Amino acid sequence: MSEQKPPRSTKREARKRPGSDSTEDQMPAKRSSKATRSQRIMKRRRSSSLRAGLAVMGGRAAGALSRRLHLGGGTSIAGIVAQRLYPDIVGHLSTQLAHGSVLVTGTNGKTTTSGFIAAILSDAGLRVWRNREGSNLMQGVAGALVIRAQPDGNLRRAGQAISIFEVDEAVIPKAVEILPPRVAVFTNLFRDQLDRFGEVDTISTRWRQAIDLLPESAPLVLNADDPTTAHLGEFFPGQVIFFGIDDPSLDLANEGLAIERHQAIDTRTCLHCGGEYIYSVQYYSHLGHYSCSQCKRARPEADVRAVKVVADGLDRLRIQIETRTQQGEIVIPLAGFYNVYNALAAIAATQALDINWEPIVSGIEQFKPAFGRGERIHVQGRTLRLLLAKNPTGFNEVLRTLFSDGIQRHVLFVLNDNIADGRDISWIWDIDFERTTQYLATLTVAGTRAFDLALRLKYAGIEQTAMTIVTSAPLRAVKVANESKARNTRQQRKVLKAQAMQQAQMTALDESIMNHHITKSYGITQALDTAIRQTPTGETLFVIPTYTGLLEIHRELERRGLTPRYWEERGP
Amino acid sequence: MNDDLSSRVTLTLGHLYPDQLNLYGDRGNILTLRRRCQLRGIELRVVELGIGDALAPDVYDILFIGGGQDKEQAPVAQDLLEIKSIGLWAAIEDDMPILAVCGGYQLLAHYYRPAEGPDMRGLGVFDAWTIHKGVQVPRCIGDIAISWNGDTLVGFENHGGRTYLGTATPLGKVLKGHGNNAEDHTEGAMYHNAFGTYMHGSLLPKNPHFADHLIALALKRTYGRSDHTAESLVHSAGSNNGSTSSNNGIKTRTWTSRSRNRIHRTVKDDHITFLTPLDDTLEWEAHAYILEHMGLHHAAVDVLRSYKDVGTVLHLSKTASV
Repeated sequence: MSEQKPPRSTKREARKRPGSDSTEDQMPAKRSSKATRSQRIMKRRRSSSLRAGLAVMGGRAAGALSRRLHLGGGTSIAGIVAQRLYPDIVGHLSTQLAHGSVLVTGTNGKTTTSGFIAAILSDAGLRVWRNREGSNLMQGVAGALVIRAQPDGNLRRAGQAISIFEVDEAVIPKAVEILPPRVAVFTNLFRDQLDRFGEVDTISTRWRQAIDLLPESAPLVLNADDPTTAHLGEFFPGQVIFFGIDDPSLDLANEGLAIERHQAIDTRTCLHCGGEYIYSVQYYSHLGHYSCSQCKRARPEADVRAVKVVADGLDRLRIQIETRTQQGEIVIPLAGFYNVYNALAAIAATQALDINWEPIVSGIEQFKPAFGRGERIHVQGRTLRLLLAKNPTGFNEVLRTLFSDGIQRHVLFVLNDNIADGRDISWIWDIDFERTTQYLATLTVAGTRAFDLALRLKYAGIEQTAMTIVTSAPLRAVKVANESKARNTRQQRKVLKAQAMQQAQMTALDESIMNHHITKSYGITQALDTAIRQTPTGETLFVIPTYTGLLEIHRELERRGLTPRYWEERGP
Repeated sequence: MNDDLSSRVTLTLGHLYPDQLNLYGDRGNILTLRRRCQLRGIELRVVELGIGDALAPDVYDILFIGGGQDKEQAPVAQDLLEIKSIGLWAAIEDDMPILAVCGGYQLLAHYYRPAEGPDMRGLGVFDAWTIHKGVQVPRCIGDIAISWNGDTLVGFENHGGRTYLGTATPLGKVLKGHGNNAEDHTEGAMYHNAFGTYMHGSLLPKNPHFADHLIALALKRTYGRSDHTAESLVHSAGSNNGSTSSNNGIKTRTWTSRSRNRIHRTVKDDHITFLTPLDDTLEWEAHAYILEHMGLHHAAVDVLRSYKDVGTVLHLSKTASV
């Protein structure tokens, strides 16, 4: 979990670096100042491979210890320890990868996109290494390499290996600097965790820095439909491959939903001149076919395009693809319109790596989704489906997938405000819960911010009595306030002397006001149990959690023996 | 009185720059005002005022301005100054309730000095100014609770700029969190019925008393001018605001004085008679939860207790009328 605390750990990383460099890396170099350059390099390499070996051993020992103590998967602790022992461990190990590495970043779709790429490349016969989902800061990347390295500081079986790293959108400049990729993929940029980043613009500034550091030989894969992402292409002298959707029938206007107009739109104005964007087709949020009303700059032509997208139930998407060299139909085994972009990004990235069409099709069609991306789990005769929703755009798209066909659904929402989720939950007011009101068969609201979400749903027009709230911890103040009931009653009687008030009536009212809709149980276990109980046998319960909510649910299901431990999951 | 009013009462809310200033879930404030009006039989019409639209003060009963990114704030600042300033000033001097959050708040002060680039001139409604001290200075981010009018307000703040008050009255005193500048424990500013604040999250859903305060002010201004009690109450509240305006930065004792609480009581009681009470259980629980989360345990207990009092009154008035 430590990888979810970016500000602290990155700072630590930065602080650590100069100190350790001066003591060990430069000392030998200084001592041998009279030696020839080649000797010096030789010496340095030997010392660095010694250090790398030490770092690998230290990191792996820490990882094993963490696993043994059941603290977690141990990859990120391995990365942290290895980076402490040898700050340049990532650079050292990554140069040994025969096929280099692919970096994937963006607000939404990192995990699924890199999953698609991994599936395609392993179908193409490569050995694919990935960092685990969520471990997308530098120590997670370091950990993924360290656990595959030998004590001599070399990677095991690096011959056919290619690594795919999903990297947090804020640390991408650092990642590009340490780990020059063969292909870099930018999926999209939405508002997410504003409490961490400040503003959306902060990230787009960092992305510009990353583009400046990117080697010219590395193709850059960008989303043509997202203005902020597509804009990056103008600063890159090398090859740029755009992907996008060319299916006007998916325009929001066709859905005839007035509420969509209020959707969270994070980029409205032209990045060149500040003019408003005009959309001829708008898919969701600010994704679509845009052009600036003032300077007329428009969406770039897409190289990898989806010309026809058809949703095939809740489980599949059928898309017609056209690239510069290929065309054909692909069935994505996932619901959710956003997965079209993820598949397109993966196709563009793998075509840039000269992968044939067959592994591309088979990789995507046989893809197994990551945890929390819609897979089914059978619990007590019900089917559980987990759909991660961590920001307004992702959330809106999940609701759109679930509530567009008029079927009643059983739903459990989990809203947490831990650091990995973002402490600020104001974004829930930008979600169109209004569309769900008619279609909620049962509703359970849980998480550290269950009250906030319940309030949001109340103001969307959902009756308080129609939802069950299971908070993560009891509200102590309720208890104290109830304990002082006697004193309150006396005061009230004074105020309302004119109206004779029965004690019993008041107690009943207190009860009804304070407790009528809140269960007396707390925590994710109870939330899950409550939601499952409310779902009739044979039906499906849709669980929609934020990031740490998903982790909690995973742990809970794991405890019940329903899912494998997450560090035992094997990437393709 | 409510029944007489309910069938024909309409309020018009002007939402300024909904497309540019929409960053922090500000839609929740509008939804809250609309629903709380609707439940009382008051129709709240929302008119969106974008860049270039004129602001005719007679058309509106209440105004809202949200927060946005620095980049989007510049054209808004220009429009506010060039096109809407006279209308806005007239509305404010005429006691129109205005809620300005974050960026909107900064633009109602004298100026905003960004980390890079030229100053943005504001309207100067609040005698205050905002300085962004550069990207290396940490932003003020986190949950925040303040005391306002003898009650608490809770929200979330996320701002890079530090606001310093001149003679402006702060909206409240920071109990936990950063507030205007993380130095002097003030949060927000007010002038007449214009309220500027850094609190979002959204502000109004979890602070139903503040939402009702705005609605009551709008109703009184539009429909209650002949009503002597209402007018005198507004005045007493207004003069009270004036007395605390002494000098910000220094913690004045007036904030905790008893006279304040007494006036607050009358205002609050007035709300109960003026506006139909609603079942705000969930609102106050969410409010208390944040307070408790921030370690303000006693404040959380107070909130739940005083809410139960109001709830009982609500229940009694219902049974009495039946």
